Amino acid sequence: MERRKEELEKKRQKLAELRRAREERKQVFNTAAQKQEEKSVERSRKEQIDDLVKSLLKDKATGDHPGTPTSSKSDDVELEKGITSHHARLNSISTGYSPGTSVPQSPSILAPSRYIPDFSSFEAVILDIAPKELILYSKEVQTTERSFGPPPPNEDEIRAKILKEQEEKEKARQAALDEERSRMEDEKKKMQQLKDISDDDKKKIISSNEFIDFIDHSTKIIERVLNENYDYMKDYSIIKDNENDDQSGSRVKYVNSFFDDRWTKNRSVTDVNWSRKNPELCVASYNKNPMAMNEPDGVAIVWNIRSLDRYEYVFHSQSDVLTTMFSEFHPTLVIGGTYSGQIVLWDMRSKALPVLKTPLSASGHTHPVYSMQMVGTQNAHNLITASTDGLICSWQLDMLAQPQETLELVHSEHSKTDEVSVTALGFPDNETAAFWVGTEEGVVYQANRYGRAGGKAGINPYDVYKGHWGPITGLHFHPMAGQHNFSDLYLTSSVDWTCKLWRAKSISKPSTSPQTITPLYSFEGADDYVYDVKWSPIHPALFASVDGTGKFSLWNLNVDTEVPIVSTQVGSQAKALNKINWDKEGRKTAIGSSDGRVHIYDIGELAYPRDDEWEIMQKTISEMTNK
Amino acid sequence: MSEVEVEEHFKRLTNNKYVEGVLIVNEDGQTIKSNLDPTLNKKYSDLITKLVEQTTFCVKEMDETNDLSFLRVRTKKHEIMIVPDKEYLLIVIQNPEKK
Repeated sequence: MERRKEELEKKRQKLAELRRAREERKQVFNTAAQKQEEKSVERSRKEQIDDLVKSLLKDKATGDHPGTPTSSKSDDVELEKGITSHHARLNSISTGYSPGTSVPQSPSILAPSRYIPDFSSFEAVILDIAPKELILYSKEVQTTERSFGPPPPNEDEIRAKILKEQEEKEKARQAALDEERSRMEDEKKKMQQLKDISDDDKKKIISSNEFIDFIDHSTKIIERVLNENYDYMKDYSIIKDNENDDQSGSRVKYVNSFFDDRWTKNRSVTDVNWSRKNPELCVASYNKNPMAMNEPDGVAIVWNIRSLDRYEYVFHSQSDVLTTMFSEFHPTLVIGGTYSGQIVLWDMRSKALPVLKTPLSASGHTHPVYSMQMVGTQNAHNLITASTDGLICSWQLDMLAQPQETLELVHSEHSKTDEVSVTALGFPDNETAAFWVGTEEGVVYQANRYGRAGGKAGINPYDVYKGHWGPITGLHFHPMAGQHNFSDLYLTSSVDWTCKLWRAKSISKPSTSPQTITPLYSFEGADDYVYDVKWSPIHPALFASVDGTGKFSLWNLNVDTEVPIVSTQVGSQAKALNKINWDKEGRKTAIGSSDGRVHIYDIGELAYPRDDEWEIMQKTISEMTNK
Repeated sequence: MSEVEVEEHFKRLTNNKYVEGVLIVNEDGQTIKSNLDPTLNKKYSDLITKLVEQTTFCVKEMDETNDLSFLRVRTKKHEIMIVPDKEYLLIVIQNPEKK
């Protein structure tokens, strides 16, 4: 309580102080205002006195009662008026400067007089005038140096100077030369110290593994470079007249023959295939070399069309390789089918021996595998292989220990054995379950991998594609490309000297009674066994065939169905040609010959279809069907 | 691969119709194999070794993680192709005006 009282007391004192301070300020303010007013008041008083005197004089003159009080009273009022009006004016100005102190005071000042001042508003115009910019110039007069400089040096001095400079330069040059010379000598000494390698050491180096690896690697590069035909420094402004390229558009051009003394001599090419990922690579498989019993029976060689004299890889197999291909979905893998029935898998990242192979057991093939095909997509694919005993196997590439599925093709009406001897196998484009097989007896059958409604797995015995009079050597379905779908068409080649064009029957409506299907057309241009036939991958009407006389024929159904548009003798010795295959772009063909050579041909402009080629093909086919 | 194959590769290179000289040297410029006459051989082995050394240095200076893998020097008369390796150099001189 005490404290509280004290506090209250303190507050009260503070308040009192504040009040006193305010009073003081008020007084100071008032006196200041009054001082200013004083002068005018004094002046008015003087006038009043004058008036008073005058009036008194008047009064005296008139002799009346002095009327001073009344006049003095009115004067007082007037005087007060003057003061207050002045106050009001002062206040209105002061509010602008110090609000808070003067504003609440004004009513107390104005209170005694009832005078109401009239306010007026005004606008203040603020002009901002930028300071004048000061621009300074420095002026100079240009004069020639001669007019003011020191007198020019005479010619002798100049000459001396130049001579001196030259001497210095010469000296520096000499010094540099000396240095260079001494360095060269040093190096020479050093080089001499590094005596030539002795023959023994040379032999040691040459037989070392690092050296062999280096040579293998570096010569490969050099040979690829040497095969670059284009001279990148060619100057087109220089005319050379020895460019006798009489290569017209309608001819095929021979590019190269791949041959190797050690690996392909005395062997025959059994199959050729191009890489999808690296279009310059092509793999060829070979059978055994009877003259070299110590070499592996089967080989597959990867050739590079950019390196004409030299193979990229050689792969070995214990048994003759009858068919080979690059895995469509693995750029480094090469698959081979062998005479013993084994499927082998080589890897370009590995050595010559297979990385995987199937076992020689009853679960897989035990007869030669002449045909195989990869079906499916990047994520789900199978390798389908067929052996001559009619066994079809489906493999997963990373698991060759045993087949995923096996399917035995049997035909109950065959006389001695019910086996169907498969020599060629073909799947239509985008088809993975139904396939067609060419047989040794010359008949083509349709078969299913799986049983489905209305049909069993295995051969369809009722639809018989009969037309050939000898074993079928090749079977190829039309690749699906372009405006029209011809994927139900397929070509076969046979030892009966013909190629035949067929239309595959729809697999959804298999016949229930035996029915013979005849070919759409027969191409009879060959004078020997026809060993292989392949559609062009880009041209709908173009296909190529090879035969036993060493002839390579190109057929264009839109141009002529009777004779090939191009027929050329491959190789100098008319050796039989076993296989043909188109590269990915449909521009080149690789032809496998029985003398162990792989011949590469460039088809040139003939390979490229015109826009209307599909329409014409449609017409050609319908003409064939209605005949 | 064996010595026989080394010989084969070497021969195939020297037999190429565009190739005028083949030379295999070690990193010090000492000749291991060559089909050039001794004076020319000496010149090439000394000078090319230096050139490769300088080029390798240059490549490494520009990017430490990089390395020289092939060197082609096109001149008015020849094209010199060099395959450098850790220990050896293969130098092939070819006539660039093919055909």
